[in-house]
Amino acid sequence: MTTTELPLADQAPVVVPLQAIFATDFCPILVAVTTAHTIDEVAAEVARHVEGKRVRGLPYRKQVIFKGRVLPGEMTVAESGLSPLDHIAVEYDIPEGEATE
Amino acid sequence: MTLLKREEWQQFVRDVDWTPTYVDDEAIYPEWHSGTGKVPREAWLKWEESYKVSYPEYVTGQREKEAAAYAVKAALQRSSAFDNLDEGWKSATKMHFGGVGLAEAAAVLGELKMARFGLNGAWRNMAVFGALDELRHAQVTTFFGHEFISKDPQYDWTLKTYQTNDWVPIAARNLFDAMILTPNVVDLAIELPFTFETGFTNLQFVALSADALESGDVNFANMISSIQTDEARHSQQGGPTMEILVEHDPARAQWVIDRSFWGSARIFSALTGPAMDYYTPVEHRRQSYREFMEEWIVDQFIRTIEDYGLRKPWYWDEFMNGLDTWHHGLHLGLWYWRPTVWWKPKAGVSKDERDWLVEKYPTWEKLYGDKWDVMIDNINANNVEATLPETLPWLCSTCHLPCSIVTQSRSGVWRVRDWELDYDGRKYHFCTNACRQIFWKDRDNVNHETVIDRFLAGQIQPMDVGGILNYMGMTPDVMGDDPDYEAWTRDYVGRPTSGLAAPAGVVS
Repeated sequence: MTTTELPLADQAPVVVPLQAIFATDFCPILVAVTTAHTIDEVAAEVARHVEGKRVRGLPYRKQVIFKGRVLPGEMTVAESGLSPLDHIAVEYDIPEGEATE
Repeated sequence: MTLLKREEWQQFVRDVDWTPTYVDDEAIYPEWHSGTGKVPREAWLKWEESYKVSYPEYVTGQREKEAAAYAVKAALQRSSAFDNLDEGWKSATKMHFGGVGLAEAAAVLGELKMARFGLNGAWRNMAVFGALDELRHAQVTTFFGHEFISKDPQYDWTLKTYQTNDWVPIAARNLFDAMILTPNVVDLAIELPFTFETGFTNLQFVALSADALESGDVNFANMISSIQTDEARHSQQGGPTMEILVEHDPARAQWVIDRSFWGSARIFSALTGPAMDYYTPVEHRRQSYREFMEEWIVDQFIRTIEDYGLRKPWYWDEFMNGLDTWHHGLHLGLWYWRPTVWWKPKAGVSKDERDWLVEKYPTWEKLYGDKWDVMIDNINANNVEATLPETLPWLCSTCHLPCSIVTQSRSGVWRVRDWELDYDGRKYHFCTNACRQIFWKDRDNVNHETVIDRFLAGQIQPMDVGGILNYMGMTPDVMGDDPDYEAWTRDYVGRPTSGLAAPAGVVS
């Protein structure tokens, strides 16, 4: 049985480099995740470089937006359709009425 | 024997040419170098430069300039002038020495190409003087920069910059290879003397010279203004070339001027923008970068294209909006990724400096203030580590500069946006729509791989910050750092803070 025949969940993780922009940051960055990571883990990996370092940390959940859609946090990168060099935006999920912009 | 007056012989020596009979004209002037395109071969006969010079005059004039420039240098070498210069200002000069020094040498090659393949004798003649000029510029710049190596090792990058794979020379190489080394001489004359030299270099060599004098750097001011007098002469190759091209192929003239204006604007926003609006001490800033651009570039460019019957470039609104944003985002990037540069980026955001920035750029506080505030608070909390990078910024596949441009949506939200292209099995990302459009139209021209491309292809090993700095030729003695954190953070000590990253090793 080759790797491509295994179910997604059983395949070895593959590195997926992404272009990511975190909220109001001034520049997108290179971030490397794997197909095994969850979308929440992707958000955290992007935030690690920027949150509290250039963009002030806010007490809200972070969500990943890909091609205009919010990706479910528990979904894996493999299931999400994200492929190398895709662009994602990580934004705070700020409840209605609390937006600061 | 009495010598003839110049007027009696000038028209012969300035335009030496003949009809070849032993070989075809095409063999001497092949299309891929001479680039006549739709312009009839005989149309080039009327090419004429406005300011004529003979070789004896050239030698006399240049000798006087050299003597003057080196006399000022020698006099100041014996003084303490250098030691009293502001560190921020010195960084502006280091950017210049490293970023411009060997670009002048590339310009020698461009001038020599025109000297060989230009389709008019007078043009070829002017290009010979142009090549001598650029050789002078490469020599003067590297020699002036060399003087300071013993005082500050970063000046060694005067010569070293273009011999490395640092991201800054890669960006400059990508621009200059496409602008100078690969085009035919007609396109070259539009890109280099007409667009880059007639307009943009004035920003770095004349406008910045004003800031240099204000900052007390007479030596540097003298060097660049002396260099620019040569520029005024050889950049005049652009006008007559444009005149002939516009008459026979205005679409080509429009495209060439559009793509070179954009590329020039991008690189100057990285080079001159931070120098004028952040590194020059605030009390010595004659004008803002935007004001200099409007005076030296925008007004002149509009007049020029009207003179030649051309249109404003398709991206004009995008460019004009960028005068308020491009260089601010690039300055933030140069500061954050300061270990990758060969000068000491001064943050320049003390309260006084911010007041100046807000006065000149009303959107500055909204777009950039919050990022600087978080970094200021981190520094005041003794967490400088949080202001140092652990990954690469995304670099545009056309201009190779960080994609650090924010734009406003219709609903008023400011964000960095992605400009993507899927082509030939690859995904490309750009900083702006215009960079993507230019990439597409120009995709068969030189397009170096960005540092991101190289990293992802495994060319940079190990694949970490150390590996990246090593790949870029960065050594600890040259690596950039802010020269005085306290100068711009002391205004904010003691204010309440929130939402900062925990220092490394501390569980938050």
